[in-house]
Amino acid sequence: MARVAVTGVGVVTGAVTGGREQIRAFLASSGAPALSVPSSALGGLIDETEARRLSRICQLSVAAARIALADAGLGPGAGLDGYLHRGPGGLSALLFPNTVMNTMAAATAIAVTARELSLTLNAPTVAGELAIARAAAAVRAGRADAVLAGGVDEFDSALAELLAEGGAPSERRGEGAGFVLLESLDTAEARGARVLGEIAGVAWRALRARPYGVGRGAASRAVAAALDEAGATSGEVGRVWVSASGDGPRDRWEQAILEEALRPARPPQTALASRAGRHAGLGALAVAAAALDEVSRGPAVVHAIARGGTHVALVVRRAPVE
Amino acid sequence: MRRIAVSGLGVVSPFGTGVKAYWNGLSAGACAIRPVTLIETEGFRCRIAAEVPDGFGGSLRRSRADRLALAAAREALEDAGLSRVERAEAALAVGAVGGGMLEAEAWYWERFRGRRPPSRPTPRSMLPFSHAEALGNALGLEGPRETLVMACSSGAASLALAADLIADGVVATALAGGVDALTRICFMGFNALKLLCPEPCRPFDRDRRGMSIGEGAAFVVLEELGRARARGARIYATLAGHGMTTDAYHVTSPHPEGEGMVRAMAAALESGRIAPAAVGYVNAHGTATPQNDRIEARAIHEVFAPGRLLVSSTKSMIGHTMAAAGALEAVATILALVHEVVPPTANLETPDPDVAFDCVPRVAREAAVEYAISNSFGFGGQNVTLLFGRA
Repeated sequence: MARVAVTGVGVVTGAVTGGREQIRAFLASSGAPALSVPSSALGGLIDETEARRLSRICQLSVAAARIALADAGLGPGAGLDGYLHRGPGGLSALLFPNTVMNTMAAATAIAVTARELSLTLNAPTVAGELAIARAAAAVRAGRADAVLAGGVDEFDSALAELLAEGGAPSERRGEGAGFVLLESLDTAEARGARVLGEIAGVAWRALRARPYGVGRGAASRAVAAALDEAGATSGEVGRVWVSASGDGPRDRWEQAILEEALRPARPPQTALASRAGRHAGLGALAVAAAALDEVSRGPAVVHAIARGGTHVALVVRRAPVE
Repeated sequence: MRRIAVSGLGVVSPFGTGVKAYWNGLSAGACAIRPVTLIETEGFRCRIAAEVPDGFGGSLRRSRADRLALAAAREALEDAGLSRVERAEAALAVGAVGGGMLEAEAWYWERFRGRRPPSRPTPRSMLPFSHAEALGNALGLEGPRETLVMACSSGAASLALAADLIADGVVATALAGGVDALTRICFMGFNALKLLCPEPCRPFDRDRRGMSIGEGAAFVVLEELGRARARGARIYATLAGHGMTTDAYHVTSPHPEGEGMVRAMAAALESGRIAPAAVGYVNAHGTATPQNDRIEARAIHEVFAPGRLLVSSTKSMIGHTMAAAGALEAVATILALVHEVVPPTANLETPDPDVAFDCVPRVAREAAVEYAISNSFGFGGQNVTLLFGRA
């Protein structure tokens, strides 16, 4: 099994846009929450043709992917796999191709010339973390040398209105895109990449819950499986990057799961959604934040749970990777 | 490397509910493409599709797509004879695109006109992941859960990725498949793109004019071969390999040389360590659009010598079932291996001289095939090839 190195990150969010240096500065600051991506954030990242032809969500995706590749010291044509996610599209027949959720993956694959496996996962509130876990598993198993993985969401006021009208839980929704570049450690070292960290363990499972509901059980097999794969114990975990986003029942469920999985340890927690809003790009931001965290000791757990029961755990170690 | 067995099948198709009805229709070369009843088609160039007939059951509080998926998944699990504990640990991979959009569209349509909608769909039930949640909750599946949205290759991708989870030792068993119900957005979109044929589609015919849309669901139970044998499961076939590639060329058009398709087929053969000559049947993506069939035929020709190779398109009988297509066609391929009968390409009257293969026109063909592949190619240049071997 190959070890999985994180060698690049790119995010385009309301709160921060850039690679590892911008994320480091963001983590060291305490700015006000920013949920929408300003149009200026895409300047220089999308060319005129793309600005004209691509939907906004595709532009977010392409921009974040390009930042991640540049952060990793790679350009287009590197033969990378793309793992993406997004939410629903419009309803116009003229925009039909854009209504299929893999359009962002397709646009990004074209933009960065990724010609191997390209996968789009749809999962409420955990898609970015799930995509990164899936990508890490592919690298670990030797199916890919390098994978660009992350997620993207666009804030859609019409959808938000529909969700609210249908009784969907309120939460701090944001928008943006985020990708990390994952490579086998051997590949990364061979090309002299600046390794940001290591994804040492991943697991994703489903907890019993009604569709769109919050379950009662808190026994997480995902956290235990991810820690086991990483060869780490719950007592070693230095910090947990949680998916809490203001959806009270779901946030409390996540707390119960983590308490059960990590007891008796109670490592500190950070919820990035409080500053950047919840969107599928946060998974990449959380992985990068875990890798850049110079304060906490021990590996970090990036955790996300969705209503309905899908939950994901990633164990991230900081560089230097030994 | 762990080998993967197919130990359960479940289908809801335009031929009706159940694997038996599906195979009866396919092996008879019947065409289930008829006038559309589910949605209003007044003014459209095409007014036909392959709809699933009533009888698949399920609560009407669920979306049509959820009910299709549940009926097919239940049949597959019961066929495999998995225990409750085995189900609880199984992975679930669902290929989906339309979600519960059929009901959401009806609601939105009424609301847009200022009328009181008949019922309000749960907002999230319109999204593709809703099927996985419905299946996971109803069938007690608590392993890794994934919804793959890869356009027309979604269903095939779900089988490939579930197989990876078994091969990697993450789970011993998986339920994988795809589902899509007919929706206005899909019908309207393909109509707007002028890709629909006003008559039942004719894949690989010289005079083909476009595709027909269908709906349905199919699921298979995959498990580690040794484990399946140990518990005495019926093994239909092995999932001997798969290949997944991206064109990175155009959002809707395939690469004109089919190079991504070639790489997917080659990767499937390589992962199964199977020589091209060992493959006797290709269940083609075969949409019946002039461009896609020509490019796919060229790609198949680049990988396989024509010789005895049989090529047919299930879509000629049940239409293009979108996210379900890859799974339904995988089941058709498996059943061809089991019954030693290759389903035909219905409506194929005048073979395209540019297609250098025997496309099994109109009548099924007896053929004992050792290995067969199923191709699925989707918007976004997403190419998936599944390689199946006789049990």
